[in-house]
Amino acid sequence: MKPLRVLRGYLFTIIGIAIGVAGLVALGAMSERIVRFIEGGDRFVLGQISVAGRGMGMGTGFTAGGLLPAATIRAIAEVPGVSGVQAQVMLPLDPSTSQFMTLTQELILGVDLAVPMPNRHYRALPVRAGRFFRDGDRRVAVVGASFAASRGLGVGGHITLEGESFEVVGVLDRMLTAPDRFVMVPIADARAQWVAKDRLLRTVLASGGVPLTAADLNTGAAVGWLDGDDPDAVALRIRERVPGVNVQLPSELSRLLRSSTAFFSALLAGIGVLAFVIGGLSLANTMAAAVFERIRDFGVKRALGATDLQLGLEVLTESLAVTLVGGLAGIGLALVLGWAIDGTVARAQQLFHFSPRLLGGALTFSILLGAAAATYATARVVSVSPAEAIRRGS
Amino acid sequence: MLRAAGLVKSYRAPSGMPIRVLAGVDLTVKGGEIVVVAGPSGSGKSTLLNVLGLLEDGDGGEVWFEDTRVSALGRSARSQARGRYVGFLFQSFLLLPSLTALENVLLAARYVGRSGAAMRRRARELLAEVGVADRMDHFPAQLSGGEQQRVAFCRAVLNDPPLLLADEPTGNLDDANGAVILGALRGRARAGAAVVVVSHRAEAAAGASALYRLRGGVLESS
Repeated sequence: MKPLRVLRGYLFTIIGIAIGVAGLVALGAMSERIVRFIEGGDRFVLGQISVAGRGMGMGTGFTAGGLLPAATIRAIAEVPGVSGVQAQVMLPLDPSTSQFMTLTQELILGVDLAVPMPNRHYRALPVRAGRFFRDGDRRVAVVGASFAASRGLGVGGHITLEGESFEVVGVLDRMLTAPDRFVMVPIADARAQWVAKDRLLRTVLASGGVPLTAADLNTGAAVGWLDGDDPDAVALRIRERVPGVNVQLPSELSRLLRSSTAFFSALLAGIGVLAFVIGGLSLANTMAAAVFERIRDFGVKRALGATDLQLGLEVLTESLAVTLVGGLAGIGLALVLGWAIDGTVARAQQLFHFSPRLLGGALTFSILLGAAAATYATARVVSVSPAEAIRRGS
Repeated sequence: MLRAAGLVKSYRAPSGMPIRVLAGVDLTVKGGEIVVVAGPSGSGKSTLLNVLGLLEDGDGGEVWFEDTRVSALGRSARSQARGRYVGFLFQSFLLLPSLTALENVLLAARYVGRSGAAMRRRARELLAEVGVADRMDHFPAQLSGGEQQRVAFCRAVLNDPPLLLADEPTGNLDDANGAVILGALRGRARAGAAVVVVSHRAEAAAGASALYRLRGGVLESS
């Protein structure tokens, strides 16, 4: 009998399995997306000591704080155990956006490329197209993948920030975490953006009452530590020795990040478990029903001399093929749905992450569960006599 | 070829009361013989055939195929014995709807390890003998009742079983098709097979070696 004809006979079973697997994979992909976001953020904050000026200024990003002057940055660099300090300016792209929505907020990040990236986990950000900007560049930008996709930006494109045009020289790889929504610019440009966005800062600078230079306009700094040093201990040392700074211990920041996202993690874990149970039950029920429907066929085959083992192997082979095809179709359906939603409804923000472990796991799960359900159903079917099987199926 | 002694079988009614269908049936059928079992509907004819063909267990008694007491065999051995010794012909044909006529016939060979080109050739020959060679690639739903029963007959005899059990083989057929099937069964008996036919049709008794009536759970010679 032709394999395709066998599968055609199971068409509705395959469709049922595909729908169950698609639901499982889609919900799993949303869960994976959040997990990657949290893991990425965690990896970032554990790779550096984040320092900001004390206060509640506009300087924002991951650490609320005030101005971090150049003198303070120099003082931090002299603390024992510190390997490097990189001044940064992090600003919301749209100042009217709520500061509480940092999970999805678009940010301008200016970094001082005169200092190597001190973050141990992000020595260089992965550039998908073009290049990263170089020390001395002006009016150029490197944008995150989601930011680029949402605006149709590519290398050579232009973006206007506070009335200034920036040429996009690079687009980052999708990282599934905060930098996906970053516009990265040279720090001098970021400082100019800050001044342009912040009327209070402009007033202070214009008054001349506070002796500030451009190098003093930093919202924070990324601090690296020497090999062998404990980052938390170095952070505590900075806190003790340098006045006027907010120092975040990497482990403390990691804990904060995790606790702030704990609700989403729990929610998605719950959804994932529900998808697992509902999808699994649907799949098992569909497969078992397909076997029970064929009880008369089994009766006939046993009348023709088929042993329990022969029937079991036959059903197992068919169920493996059916769940494999149904599982692959379900994964394909979920991929198409995810692609369509990400491309339209989510405006190029990635809501789904179809990781190999998710796809492999879902396929393995569906095949094993389908085979188990089919085996169980076959065992039930062959437990009745061939005559009874024929009677029940007729 | 077939010997049954003291076959007993009861079913339980919905009320829980046991209904005795077979109450000590003895039957011997030799190769080349056709035995016809008649009786009113519900008299237990099909049950007798099922127990003789190992399609269901009796509550007591013995069934022998040649020198083997098959009623005492385990599940797997009984399945193998069915495949090796018995060909079944059912009133409702029982062809698998997803298989073509040829594939339905070849199904009989699959479970006794006889698949191959020789069996395909033999299946085609059988289909040609009963006049449905041109329908071998059709599915059961595309065949008439008479054609389906001819295909079912080919399936029953593909492995040349020494015993043929036919349960109302002409029950769903018109007279002409019924005659073809009964003629084919007689042909198998002439070739040496033992044939047991359960039927309420008088034509089935024509040419039979013995005619029994199942009454009160026992066989009475007619």
